Amino acid sequence: MATTSELDRVSMVVLRYMRGPVFVLIIVYAIGITGMALIPGQDADGNVEYMNLFHAFYFFTYTATTTGFGEIPFVFTDEQRLWAILCVYMGVVAWLYAIGSIFRLAQNPHFLLALNEHRFAKRVQRITHPFFIICGFGDTGSLLARGLNEHTLSAVILDTDLERIKALVLRDYRVSMPGLSADSSVPKHLIDAGVQMANCKGVVILTNNDEMNVRIAVMSRLLNSDIRIFCRSSSKRQIEHLRTLGNVIVINPFEIFSQLLGMAITAPRLHNLNSCLVGNRKAKLGRPLQVPTGDWIICGYGRMGQWLYKQFILHGIKPVIIDPKAGEIEGAARIINNHADGDTLDEAGLDHAAGVVAGTDNDHDNLSILMCVQSKKPDAFTIVRQNRHENQIAFDATNATLVLQSSLTTARRVLKHLISPQIQVFIDYLREQGEDICDQTVQRLRAAIGDNRPHLWHVKLCQDEAEAVVEHLRSGKPLSLSELSRDPHDLDASLACMPLVIERGQNRIMLPHHNESLVLGDDILFCGTEFGETLLSATMNNSYTLDYLISGDDKPRGYFFRWLAGQQLDDSAHSSST
Amino acid sequence: MNLERVVFGFVTILALTFTFAFVSGDIDNASHHNVWVLTIAILINLIATGLKLGDRSQVGALLLASSLVVNVMLISARIIWIIKESHTPTGPGAESLATIISLAGGALVASFVTVAILVGDTLISRR
Repeated sequence: MATTSELDRVSMVVLRYMRGPVFVLIIVYAIGITGMALIPGQDADGNVEYMNLFHAFYFFTYTATTTGFGEIPFVFTDEQRLWAILCVYMGVVAWLYAIGSIFRLAQNPHFLLALNEHRFAKRVQRITHPFFIICGFGDTGSLLARGLNEHTLSAVILDTDLERIKALVLRDYRVSMPGLSADSSVPKHLIDAGVQMANCKGVVILTNNDEMNVRIAVMSRLLNSDIRIFCRSSSKRQIEHLRTLGNVIVINPFEIFSQLLGMAITAPRLHNLNSCLVGNRKAKLGRPLQVPTGDWIICGYGRMGQWLYKQFILHGIKPVIIDPKAGEIEGAARIINNHADGDTLDEAGLDHAAGVVAGTDNDHDNLSILMCVQSKKPDAFTIVRQNRHENQIAFDATNATLVLQSSLTTARRVLKHLISPQIQVFIDYLREQGEDICDQTVQRLRAAIGDNRPHLWHVKLCQDEAEAVVEHLRSGKPLSLSELSRDPHDLDASLACMPLVIERGQNRIMLPHHNESLVLGDDILFCGTEFGETLLSATMNNSYTLDYLISGDDKPRGYFFRWLAGQQLDDSAHSSST
Repeated sequence: MNLERVVFGFVTILALTFTFAFVSGDIDNASHHNVWVLTIAILINLIATGLKLGDRSQVGALLLASSLVVNVMLISARIIWIIKESHTPTGPGAESLATIISLAGGALVASFVTVAILVGDTLISRR
């Protein structure tokens, strides 16, 4: 277990701060009590009577705290009264000093900060299931957290902006998502966030500052040499730097989007399947986009424009580029060094263009380019770059064919890796297999889930996740995929789920056949509906349901009926032998 | 249809009805409550508990638990009856009878829970 500095620090601060007041209280009490016990008093008959130490302590307790409680064994003598006056003043002052110190400490911003970090570290340490660390809670971070929440995966969130962390508390996540406003590149904070804990499964670095991202990545690698790191970066130099750290997945949203565009051109069906799997609500399974390969216009030659340009050239398309700072670009059909507006678009040949990319880093420019294209050439294929998540509603209203929102693309890609690394492997596999296999997969998937949104999850056949299956397999009986995914309400039907990949040791079985026998320790990636996941998980953890699915009849549950069933079997065996 | 479910349901519901038969009537009138009905209710409940032993599912555990509660309540009611009856030949007096009936009433609630779980489980599985 990692030792966190914060955990020890807070109690130390409190103790050190309270040292003075506690000393003063003890001394004042000691003087008051001793004096009261030593001063002679008188009982009702006028005999000399000393207060014992307990009575003196009792008297001092209600005096010093100004409780005003007045029960005393005998009427005080004047000496005693004199001492009592002294006691009241000493005690009250001492208590005021102590209480004042506590309040001062509670209002000290540094102490509050330490207390906050302490609470955060405690919350993180209490997480027992796998979790991820998200550094940077901007658009991408919050989209990712929402996605993780939908898959009931926990995350620990670090961000320098206090306001974002405050907003985090107001979100209704189903899982625990502790947040701390702190600089994530400081090792202490990463340790507090649990980077060295065994159940921390990855660090996702999504701050807006590339320099900072690299620093956090280096720090995470130093603190934990095995952990998976996901880092957003679009600068070439830093990507090189990150790769040397090892086990780092660099997320460059523009590169990913250009690859997706390439996929849409060469493998539209796979692109469609991929969009549905990552949760794109606009994509409908089995209805792929048709990207035309005619003349293209790229407005804005920034990071996105450059990546898309490379992709177009790769597929033999020579686009026209409109950008005030484009300069010389090799291979372009034409370069217009100007702002994209109605005139320049006409000049670029909008009337015969097959598609237009509105890819500047200004949302308003992109929207106006889009409006212009839609009024002059409504049938053109439009790709638009959305820079800020808050403009979502405006972009939804535009009906652009493809929207690149860098934060969404990043969040989806990271989420895909976090749910299961097999998803990307599966997509790559389908890409190699070609469009026919992909089409068959889509057909099978549609047969399994209908028009519902696809939901991905993975199950490992281990005691924690599939108790009944493990028990069944340990007893030496076989179990096939089709038996496992039968519907308990209708044995002829199957649950709304489809196994995509089985990872067995070092091997991967892609699109396993439904007769595939399962083996202990298999890690199965499923695609289906959320309800399908619930039912499948119920089957996997209830041995009666599993038995029923395999044999088709309910096994007797109680001892008596099992004994009875055994007797009947014996009888029939007996009668058949005679 | 499966034999275990039939027998199981029969015994469980019978236990409920017998408990109800004993409880119904004025709470302090000994002539409204028959000690034989109470004894039979205990017997049926013991059988029901026996049938539930060995089920490893969550629902099975819950059924067993509520069945044990019924047993505890009914048997304590029967014990009080025995203690109080030994002093008077006409059965327990109004005060001790009230205690007995309240205990049996508690058992009735637990019996209801058992039946509710059984019906719910059957409806959910829809086979």
